[in-house]
Amino acid sequence: MEGVEVAEDAEITQEDAWTVITSFFNAKGLVRQQLDSFNEFVNSQMQEIVDESGQLVIKPESQHLPGQEAELEQREIHISFNQIYLSKPTMTEADGETSGMFPNEARLRNLTYAAPLYVDITKRVITRAPDAAEDEQQDELEEYPKVFIGEIPVMLRSSFCSLFEHTDKELTDLGECPYDQGGYFVVNGSEKVLIAQERMANNHVYVFRKSQPSKYSFVCECRSVIEGSTRNTSSMAIRMLSRTAGRSGGQVMRATIPYIRSDVPILVVFRALGFVADRDILEHIVYDFGDTEMMEALRPSIEEALPINSQEVALDYIGKRGSSIGVPKDKRIQYAREILQRELLPHVAIGEYCETKKAYFYGYMIHRVLLVALGRREQDDRDHYANKRLDLGGPLLASLFRQLFRKLVKDVRSYVQKCVDRGREINLTAAVNKDTLTRGLRYSIATGNWGMQGTAGLRAGVSQVLNRLTYASTLSHLRRISSPIGREGKLAKPRQLHNSQWGMICPAETPEGQACGLVKNLALMSYISVGCASAPVLEFLEEWATENLEEIAASATKIFVNGVWVGVHRDPAMLVRTLRQMRRQVDINTEVGVVHDIRLQELRLYTDFGRCCRPLFIVERQALRIKKSHIQALQGVEGTTEKLEWHDLVYRGFIEYVDTEEEETTMIAMELRDLKAAAQEGARGSAPLYTHCEIHPSMILGVCASIIPFPDHNQSPRNTYQSAMGKQAMGMYVTNYQTRMDTQAYVLYYPQKPLVTTRAMEYLHFRELPAGQNTIVAIACYSGYNQEDSLMMNQSSIDRGFFRSMFFRSYRAEEKKQGSLVQEVIERPDREVTVAMRHGTYDKLDDDGIAPPGTRVSGDDVIIGKTSPLAEEAPGTAQRFTKKDVSTSLRNSESGMVDQVMVSTNAEGQRFVKLRVRSIRIPQVGDKFASRHGQKGTIGITYTQEDMPFTAEGITPDLIINPHAIPSRMTIGHLVEALMSKVAALMGKEGDATPFTDVTVDNISAALHKCGYQSRGWEVMYSGHTGRQLHAQIFLNPTYYQRLKHMVDDKIHSRGRGPVQILTRQPVEGRARDGGLRFGEMERDCIISHGTAAFLKERLFDQSDAYRVHVCDACGLFAVANLKKNQFYCPACKNTTGVVQVFMPYACKLLFQELMAMAIAPRIQF
Amino acid sequence: MQRSGHRRIPQVDVRKLDHKYCEFVLSNTDASAANALRRVMLAEVPTIAIDLVEIEINTTVLNDEFIAHRLGLIPLVSHAVHGMKSVFEGADEEDFMEVELSLSVRCMSEGTLDVTSNDFLLDPLHPEVHPIGYVPPGQPVDRSRVEPGILIVKMRRGQELALRAVARKGIGRDHAKWSPVATAVFQYMPGVMINRALMDTLTEAQKKDLCASDPSHMLEYNDVTQQVEVHNVEAYHYDGECLAKAVEMKKEGVLVIKQLQDKFIFRVEGTGVLPAQDVVATAMDVLIAKLRNLQEALPQDDEAG
Repeated sequence: MEGVEVAEDAEITQEDAWTVITSFFNAKGLVRQQLDSFNEFVNSQMQEIVDESGQLVIKPESQHLPGQEAELEQREIHISFNQIYLSKPTMTEADGETSGMFPNEARLRNLTYAAPLYVDITKRVITRAPDAAEDEQQDELEEYPKVFIGEIPVMLRSSFCSLFEHTDKELTDLGECPYDQGGYFVVNGSEKVLIAQERMANNHVYVFRKSQPSKYSFVCECRSVIEGSTRNTSSMAIRMLSRTAGRSGGQVMRATIPYIRSDVPILVVFRALGFVADRDILEHIVYDFGDTEMMEALRPSIEEALPINSQEVALDYIGKRGSSIGVPKDKRIQYAREILQRELLPHVAIGEYCETKKAYFYGYMIHRVLLVALGRREQDDRDHYANKRLDLGGPLLASLFRQLFRKLVKDVRSYVQKCVDRGREINLTAAVNKDTLTRGLRYSIATGNWGMQGTAGLRAGVSQVLNRLTYASTLSHLRRISSPIGREGKLAKPRQLHNSQWGMICPAETPEGQACGLVKNLALMSYISVGCASAPVLEFLEEWATENLEEIAASATKIFVNGVWVGVHRDPAMLVRTLRQMRRQVDINTEVGVVHDIRLQELRLYTDFGRCCRPLFIVERQALRIKKSHIQALQGVEGTTEKLEWHDLVYRGFIEYVDTEEEETTMIAMELRDLKAAAQEGARGSAPLYTHCEIHPSMILGVCASIIPFPDHNQSPRNTYQSAMGKQAMGMYVTNYQTRMDTQAYVLYYPQKPLVTTRAMEYLHFRELPAGQNTIVAIACYSGYNQEDSLMMNQSSIDRGFFRSMFFRSYRAEEKKQGSLVQEVIERPDREVTVAMRHGTYDKLDDDGIAPPGTRVSGDDVIIGKTSPLAEEAPGTAQRFTKKDVSTSLRNSESGMVDQVMVSTNAEGQRFVKLRVRSIRIPQVGDKFASRHGQKGTIGITYTQEDMPFTAEGITPDLIINPHAIPSRMTIGHLVEALMSKVAALMGKEGDATPFTDVTVDNISAALHKCGYQSRGWEVMYSGHTGRQLHAQIFLNPTYYQRLKHMVDDKIHSRGRGPVQILTRQPVEGRARDGGLRFGEMERDCIISHGTAAFLKERLFDQSDAYRVHVCDACGLFAVANLKKNQFYCPACKNTTGVVQVFMPYACKLLFQELMAMAIAPRIQF
Repeated sequence: MQRSGHRRIPQVDVRKLDHKYCEFVLSNTDASAANALRRVMLAEVPTIAIDLVEIEINTTVLNDEFIAHRLGLIPLVSHAVHGMKSVFEGADEEDFMEVELSLSVRCMSEGTLDVTSNDFLLDPLHPEVHPIGYVPPGQPVDRSRVEPGILIVKMRRGQELALRAVARKGIGRDHAKWSPVATAVFQYMPGVMINRALMDTLTEAQKKDLCASDPSHMLEYNDVTQQVEVHNVEAYHYDGECLAKAVEMKKEGVLVIKQLQDKFIFRVEGTGVLPAQDVVATAMDVLIAKLRNLQEALPQDDEAG
């Protein structure tokens, strides 16, 4: 019994950390940030926005009607929007029938997966007789319960989705993939993700040193926004002039205030706020009057403001620099007062009598500039991730919803106003325009243009079509972050990996090229705060003896809550300890960030949304708080009394979320053994004092990088390349691919789980939905067909199904209705009455006008026949054609079998057809493959088994890659993976390739040797052609390979003659249009230098847009020629003789004619 | 070559033989002949495999092409191949070219139904062509003894598969499904010589180390005689590990390993389509036919030489 007790109190091992990680993913899944933020939006933000609208008060506008003098009565209408209700997603058919909806139906029928939103509206009519007393009024209250105000798109798997909390079996029956994580929307049938948008945090004070030469030497900025409001940011700045720019004196400081045209000396603002005496002002800036250096630094600024010696003068000084000129003095002063009250640092306060608070914050900003100017502190880091916030789906939707709801309210107001003015009955249900919200939200999510249609400041690309190439690419897409910083900017800093991104953002997964470093991906365990109220924190601070700003002392620590300076405290260490303790006991929200900046003497608390956090083990007295017994309870080991889950770990204070800023004030042990070592050394006192411990360092990686085995053995760009390539690999992208109608889909015939895996794959379901096959790879030069990143593949393996895949493409057609007359019909077009028929065959169409499943289709075959009626010509006349062909034909370069046909109706009740064509893709020369280490290549040749090199055991490789692909790229992980795969295959086990573990190549080699193979994975091989032994031993091992979506059959293109552009008569562009291959400048240069002018003329002229014109020899303008009758005529000089034939590019002829249209006569002279 | 007068007579010494596996030693010839035999066994011994599938009904989860590909890979017992002609052999109407199998399965029960090669209905004219391990449908099956058949597709209630499959003669070079072997491989016989005098200068630990260095365990340390002995020559894969070890011990030459250039151990692993011995014999025939073909095609001027 005692033995068990001891074991329970034991420290946990690294293996136990994985139990904790598993519980994290069981509880959170992989797209928690999306779901959390959407739930928060629906649960609270939406209601808050509705409440914000307040009460509409509508009074009839005085109508002046001649003859009617006296007003009869006074009427006032108050309208308020109250409780909102969101129901489950529903669908209203064209005939008005409403029913619940599931996402798969929305996807298939191109519907929007949205739920109706209702709101309680109350109308209160107050009528008062014109001569009645104040309190003599009639009150009429009318309630409109649950008025439908629009449809809100619902995020899949959020708590409002109809799939919420269903079992896997139920999900399968609903046509969903149980592995699908949700986190996206379905709008008009297409899946849309909202990409997290990165921005600078508001209400932070930043001090930057300006690079010289510049007018200023230091700038302090604060972008101030009131918590939970839509008011635009109002930034203010304090700038210190550089020595050269300032007048003879020292460095003067000026303040930039919103709506004030020019900068104001800093002291003027203080005086305008009511602090006139220099001593009062200095108290707000320099907290310690013994600090002579700082006092001295302020001297120039004090002297500059000497003439402005009273509040009046200061306000006038500011008012003069306001937007309007030539206003009387008292108006100016009033204006300046208002600016200072409402626009200066609004996040501190915007009410009356808060000059003290503002002055202190303003003084604090000056203090910060001085600290940097005096070299006591470094300038702030713009790229530090603590200064960044992520706007996820929720906040994005909230801002859109706010705009739209305001418009809705505005429309209601104007409607009611109109009714009142015209004396009509007010029907509130009709006043609400249901389309404002429905259309507005749908428009933004469908197009990605964030904001109301037609308004300025539209952000593009916020919503994207969910990538469904591979399961991993879908997951990665749902965890993407985008920084809207200009892509063109050559500034490298924002693109670089910052230290503070450790654990929050994947260091490997970012695109190459333009968006490199600007598009990022979340690390596996990062969590984005959804925001919580700051009131409980403020209350707590009040209780714990926080002093007011007035009683400031140099030794006291300043306390900020969300950037607002709320007070000072004399024992910050105790306060921080209590705050952390309470957070760990969930007395205050776990999300609250507690940052104790000892050097600055500041305590900053954060409760806002969009902060990046990550969970860490809490360390107390050099040991983890979590013990073995808790791990056992987590695993549900028999004998443990309780079953723990992830949130219990947080609630019991074993683990806490630490945000990027708080992380700077912690001491985190990388591994458990570091902690152990510190504990042992602790007696001697030289060990670091840890506060936290990493759960596992491999959790710094994101989705795509977690698939790479041994990424810690690779050169880092290779991991980045693989992270991009893993998204193009074929596999099993969802399990319900047969019931889906994706425009394009690739599915591998025989996907395999890799022999060598990482622990993180378990959470990414990579074993269940893999994207590749285990391949026997030889790294060898065999016949030379694998040079320059090409590879040789075993044709016999291909015959046996190696990397075979299917490709699906869906086509869609619907019977569109234009007006009441024109109605398209899906049918087999009749050649007799239909005009503009396609040149492809119509034979494959069934009687219903759709090609039936099982039909082999190719080229331009028509697969969905559709006609549109032609407008009738003059009545009575017999018309040959009554219809126009608007059929859909197969892409001209593709072929396949009709796989599935779906006939349904769309939201308008029109016939709607989707047709899926399947084709089988067998690996062939030119197809692209890649390992998991950024090693990609195309097939250079395929050899049958007997031509492949073989070992004495009879093993032939499936793939031969070139050894030159290895040294310069330094993908050692590739080789280690191969070696471990061999051991795994021989032992019948999975290999563990998780980064930052203790596996070594020597361990693997020893295991391989034990299996009876050369320890480094080499094999003696024999030429398949001659049977002789190859000179070198070959590295022949299994390696996990991916088939990438780029295949020759989709790229092959050539053209002799073909379609030309209408305007220029030059060949069209692009393979899809059977276009020409561009002979560009560089090609032209080659031919010029080669000296073959005739060839150049052929390419650029004869094969492009050669054209014959007739030119009048006399005037040099184009003449008219009728070659049949041999008649020529120059319309310019009325000549009929002396016309010559000229060949020129059609583009040239076009230019001449355009010039002539501009009244310029381009004459051709001979 | 000056040795034309000295004609070698190749020898075959069969060591192991059963239905699926054949191991023999080919000696007194050289690598080109051995490799030719290997290549022919892999790629040019004709067998029968399903080549054309007509699908009547398919409501399973796998599409038509998928099933057709899987059917092609089912090994069919190919004794009848010798009487058949392939499309490329200039066959006419009367020749025996095709065998028609059919399959018709429908899942009526709850749960998964495995459609296997045992569900085939054979060609009544050629019942000898059937999938390996075939047990006709409906026949009482002793589950413990009989292999379950080769899985084609799994079905759920209500799904159905009906098709007609035409099997034809072909060779492995055209498609791997016609290859009669999983692998056919040869190995050069190693010749290992131990320099006893030098070996005796090694300590016991060194000797053990030397033995352990070879992953294939060709060498063995005999505790009784305290000698390094060659335990299993044929296991040696010429990886040179023990030679490298000897160099490392500064005892280069304790072991001398040669590749015998005229002795080959062949291992033929059949798929069960043809008996292994049949594969070898047919391969010889094909090889001889090729040589004869070549001889006929060459200009007949050997009277002069």
